[in-house]
Amino acid sequence: MRSTHNHHGLDRQTLLKTLILFGLGLYFIWNIASGNVVNYINTRFVWLSYVAAVLFLLLALSGAWNLLRSRRHEDAGAGDHDHRHGQMSWPVLALVAVPLVLGTLVPSRPLGADAVSGNVSLSVTGATTTDFTIPPLSRNVLDWLRVFSKVSDYDEVAGEPADVIGFVYREPDFGEDRFMVARFTVSCCVADASAIGVPVIWSGTSELQSDDWVRVQGQFVVEEFRGERVPVLKATSVELVEQPAHPYLYP
Amino acid sequence: MSLRRLSYWLAGLGLAAVVIAAVLGTGQDVGAILGIFTTRFLGIFIEAAPFLLLGTVVSGLIESFVTADDIARWMPRNPVLATLAGAFMGFAFPVCECGVVPVVRRLFTKGLPLSVGVTFLLAAPVMNPIVLASTFVAFGAGPVLVGRFVITAMVAVGVGLVFAFAGRPQEVLRPAALMPVAGGSTDVIPLYARAPRKPLVAGLRDALRMAGDEYFEMGRYLVTGSLLAAAMQTLVSQDVLLALGRGPVVSVLVQQALAFLLSVCSTVDAFLALAFVGSFTTGSILAFLTFGPMVDIKSMLMFLGVFQRRIVLYLILLPLLMTLLIGVWINLNISFV
Repeated sequence: MRSTHNHHGLDRQTLLKTLILFGLGLYFIWNIASGNVVNYINTRFVWLSYVAAVLFLLLALSGAWNLLRSRRHEDAGAGDHDHRHGQMSWPVLALVAVPLVLGTLVPSRPLGADAVSGNVSLSVTGATTTDFTIPPLSRNVLDWLRVFSKVSDYDEVAGEPADVIGFVYREPDFGEDRFMVARFTVSCCVADASAIGVPVIWSGTSELQSDDWVRVQGQFVVEEFRGERVPVLKATSVELVEQPAHPYLYP
Repeated sequence: MSLRRLSYWLAGLGLAAVVIAAVLGTGQDVGAILGIFTTRFLGIFIEAAPFLLLGTVVSGLIESFVTADDIARWMPRNPVLATLAGAFMGFAFPVCECGVVPVVRRLFTKGLPLSVGVTFLLAAPVMNPIVLASTFVAFGAGPVLVGRFVITAMVAVGVGLVFAFAGRPQEVLRPAALMPVAGGSTDVIPLYARAPRKPLVAGLRDALRMAGDEYFEMGRYLVTGSLLAAAMQTLVSQDVLLALGRGPVVSVLVQQALAFLLSVCSTVDAFLALAFVGSFTTGSILAFLTFGPMVDIKSMLMFLGVFQRRIVLYLILLPLLMTLLIGVWINLNISFV
């Protein structure tokens, strides 16, 4: 009596496991197809998500095959010893399904201004290579901070034109006419994300909302910002733009 | 059973209370916090899942096709050489910390020297190609990658040699070492006892089925660890983290405790470590990445099924002290720019 009950529980569990694995495989495929995957990891490692999708679906197929086989055995009235192992408690199954639940129910969003913990950094950390051959108007926020870290005197960059995209980040102590045009850098996945940015002087700052994506054009000047003399972008134009397809910069 | 269930409920309620208090404490919109938390959690999970899957499939294949005799045959006869080889055996047989215990237990019954088995036991979870790849993806080819492998080899060989000089197998192993190991996933144990080699198709089928089960066994630790890391990054203020993470000794102890408690599989722990890089010392990150794969709650439970209690204590304390010393030494003597 007890063994049939057990068998039934196992069968249902195998079914649920198979569904979870299948769901995770579909979730990874959907993530890649929708482009959401770059909200989570560096684009360099997206190929790993293909690997994950294939393996999830393979394991799901194997589970489905075992289900069908055990169903057939049951019809024949034979117990299946091979299924004995792998039984686990329902909370464990629920836990493994958490990524699937969060991934499908919570709308996918990249990290933005409200995810900044501490400060938006004005400098890049770590030894990075600086490519001075990128023309000034093609440099992104990260390229500029690299240039700043390499020049001996900030006055060397004063007067250089810039054209960068980022999200608006504001703190009360920035002053009326100032904000930062910020980006997150991601080396591996968002676990290592850090916020970097360039201070901007713009008379229309008060009309901007935190987290708005903007394109800022202007020229660098060296000015006081939060008690430090740093390159500050004096904007000639700030326009609202769509969030870029790749929200993060990759160092 | 009902007491256990009650304690689960109480733990769950307590955790929920802490989380709610922390969310309210940040003073931000709850929806925004949930969004940020989810992005961080899924970031770790999406980056880690392919490595966890590869690990489970490879371990399924090994369980299906490699017998303990195969491994025993590969071992050098000289005990010191064999101990050194034990540190690198994982590159030929990539098993993680949960897969390694039953393999070692089986090897001991084949007459493998104690020192070699202990070294293999401690080294294999890190010294293998999958961990090499995941650590490279997370940290690049830098000091963390090199440090992780060098420290693991040093500690594993060191502890192995201690056992070479002190103790014969009879004094160290449990008489019941042939019984299924208590506390771990029970399905991996009897497979090695099945002597005849399986035909290819049946073996592949079994490998996939075991991989599927193991994904759930291991996945729960990955999910728990990722939830915790994401919650910490989202809810705990940077000041608190820095206070814990900047002390050259405290930071190492905190990371060792985390590694022990989280029990995250060695194939994916590098991605959790990323969450601590900004606020914790490099020595402590290395301690997390070396001590955790050798000793954590789930491997400790499995050790208890193979070794005498006294020996399990050594197997925990020796790696603990060695990685602590190395971590603190790194913090005090090496500066990473």
